[in-house]
Amino acid sequence: MKLAFVVQRYGLDIAGGAEYHCRLVAEHLARHAQVEVLTSCAADYITWANHYPEGVEVLNGIPVRRFRVKRPRDPERFADWSARVLPAAGRGTPADELRWLEEEGPFSPRLVRYLERHRQDYDFFVFFSYRYYTTYHGLMAVRDKALLVPTAEDDGLVRLSIFPPLFRAPRAIVYNSVEERAMIAGASRNQDVAGEVVGVGSALPAQLDPEGFRRRQAVEGRFALYVGRIDENKGCRQMFDFFSRYRHDTGSPLGLLLVGRSVLPLPADPAIRHLGFLSDDEKWNALAACDLLLMPSRYESLSMVTLEAWWAQRPVLANAKCEVLRGQCRRSNAGLYYGSYEEFRECLAMLEGDPGLGRALGENGRRYFEAHYAWPVVERKYLDLFAAIRALDARRAAGAA
Amino acid sequence: MSFEIKAEGVDVEAIMRGIRQRIEQKREGLYSDEEIREIAERRLDGVLDAHEFNSDFIQDFRAQSGRWNFQFGPETLYRSSRGLVGQLLERVRSLLKPVQKLFWNPNPMIAALSRQSDLNSYYVLLLHNLAVELTKLNLELQELKNRNLQLQGRLDLLARREKTLEGMVVYRDDEGSEGGGGGEPA
Repeated sequence: MKLAFVVQRYGLDIAGGAEYHCRLVAEHLARHAQVEVLTSCAADYITWANHYPEGVEVLNGIPVRRFRVKRPRDPERFADWSARVLPAAGRGTPADELRWLEEEGPFSPRLVRYLERHRQDYDFFVFFSYRYYTTYHGLMAVRDKALLVPTAEDDGLVRLSIFPPLFRAPRAIVYNSVEERAMIAGASRNQDVAGEVVGVGSALPAQLDPEGFRRRQAVEGRFALYVGRIDENKGCRQMFDFFSRYRHDTGSPLGLLLVGRSVLPLPADPAIRHLGFLSDDEKWNALAACDLLLMPSRYESLSMVTLEAWWAQRPVLANAKCEVLRGQCRRSNAGLYYGSYEEFRECLAMLEGDPGLGRALGENGRRYFEAHYAWPVVERKYLDLFAAIRALDARRAAGAA
Repeated sequence: MSFEIKAEGVDVEAIMRGIRQRIEQKREGLYSDEEIREIAERRLDGVLDAHEFNSDFIQDFRAQSGRWNFQFGPETLYRSSRGLVGQLLERVRSLLKPVQKLFWNPNPMIAALSRQSDLNSYYVLLLHNLAVELTKLNLELQELKNRNLQLQGRLDLLARREKTLEGMVVYRDDEGSEGGGGGEPA
C-alpha cells in the first residue's frame, strides 16, 4: 500500500500542531505502508515564502516531495479578503471564498497539478488541515482516494460555504475528538462520509527525570505548568490574570512555569516564570515535576500537550469554553475545567489542597491515554479505515461485474 | 486523618457540580453578576455616590460611537464621500495605489490608526468593567456594614442576656441562704 500525506508545510523544525501531527502519523504508518509526503517549500505559516529547496529529500526515513509556492501571502491583501469574507461566514459567495483561500495560501498550483497527474501512483492520499489551499484543491482533485484529517477548531471558519462540500468529498475523515466530529457534521451534514475519532499519539520519553529538571532549572516548591505558545489567542492573558488573583485571594505559594515562545508581554509577578523553549525531553521532565497542567486555550482541536500531561499522570485544569477540552476532561475523568474566575479559584484550590485528588486524576489520565492515544491504537484505527475503504471498493467492483 | 482517593472513584462532573454549588453558596446574600451589571448600567451614581459621575456614560458611548471614536480600515484613506464622482475617484485612487507606494508606505499609519480605533473601544469597555467592579465592591461593602450592624446588635443582646442571667444566679444564691433550711430544692 502506498500512502501520500499532503500537508501545507513539513519539516523536523516545524512545531505547528497539525504539521507535527502529520509527521508523527506519517512516520508511524511507514511501518505498515510505503509513505511519501507531498508539501510546499514553505516554512513560515504567515508568509508561506519558499524556504526549502524544491524536490525530494528524506526526513527520518520518509521521502518528502516539495513544491514551490507560486507567490507568498500578501498580508495586506489577505487582510482585505478576510475582512470581506470572514464576518459573513456562510453568506459570502463561493467565488469570494475561493479567492480568500488563494490569498491565504500556500498558493502552490504545482502541488495540485502533481496530485492530478499522479493519482494512480498512490493508494490513498491523507490530507491534513482543511483550511488551506493545498488541502481544498488537492483533495477535490483526488477525492475518491482521499482521507481528511481536518484539525478543525470552533472558530466559525467551517461555516464558509466552500467547506461543507469539502467535508462531504473524501472517502473518510479522521477526527481528533467527538466534539470536532459533531461540529463538522453540524456544519456540513456529512454523516454519509465514513469517519473515526482517532487523534494522535506522542513521542514518549524513555524515562522521566523530575528531580533533574528542578535542579537544572532551579525550581523550588510546587508549581502549575503551561506549555505552548504564550499568546493572547491561547488564553494566556486571562490565565495570568486569574493566577495572580488566585494567589492574592488565597495566599497560595503555588508558582506558574511557562514553557514555549512568548509573543505576549509577561506579567511582572515573581511567581510566574518563563523558561523559554525547552527540548522535548526537558518538556517531559517539566510535566513530570509539575502539580498540574494549565490549558487556558479556547480554540483547540485536540491539545497534544494535554494528552502528554495525562501520560505523565498529571491532572489538567482546562478552559471550559473549549468544548473539546471540556469533553476530554469529562470522558477521561482526568481534569477539571473553569468557565469563570470563581471556578478557576475553586478548582485550583482543590487541586492544590488535595494531592490525592491530583494523583487520582493523573492515574485516570494515563489510563485514558493508553486506551485511546497509544500508537498501536492510533495506527490500527488508520489501517482499519484503509481496509474498510478497500473492502467497500472490492464489493462495488464485484457488484458491477 | 488522611485517606487515598481511588482513581476509579473520581467523577469529574460530580466534582464540578460540587464546585458550582459552593460558588453559589458563597454568593448567597450577595448580588449576582447579572444583577450587579444591571444596577451598574442603570443608576451608577446612586450606588457610587459620586455627584459628578455620569451614570449613563456607557449608553452614551454605545449609542454614539461614531462621535467619540473613528472607524479606520485599510480602505479608509482611499474613500470619498462625493457620490458617483466619489466612486470614480475611489477607483482612480485604488488604481494608483501601487504608484503612491513608490513614494511612501502608508501601511504603518493604517495599522496604527486601526489599532488606535480598536484601543479606544477597549478603553471604554475597560472603564465599564471598572465601574461594574467598583459597584460590586461598594455593594459588598454595604452588605458587610449591614452584617456588622446586625452582629453588633446580637452581641449587645447577648451581653444584656448574660448580665440578666448573672443577676438571676446571684438572686437564687441569695434566696437559698436567706431560706436557712437544708431542704431539697423543689
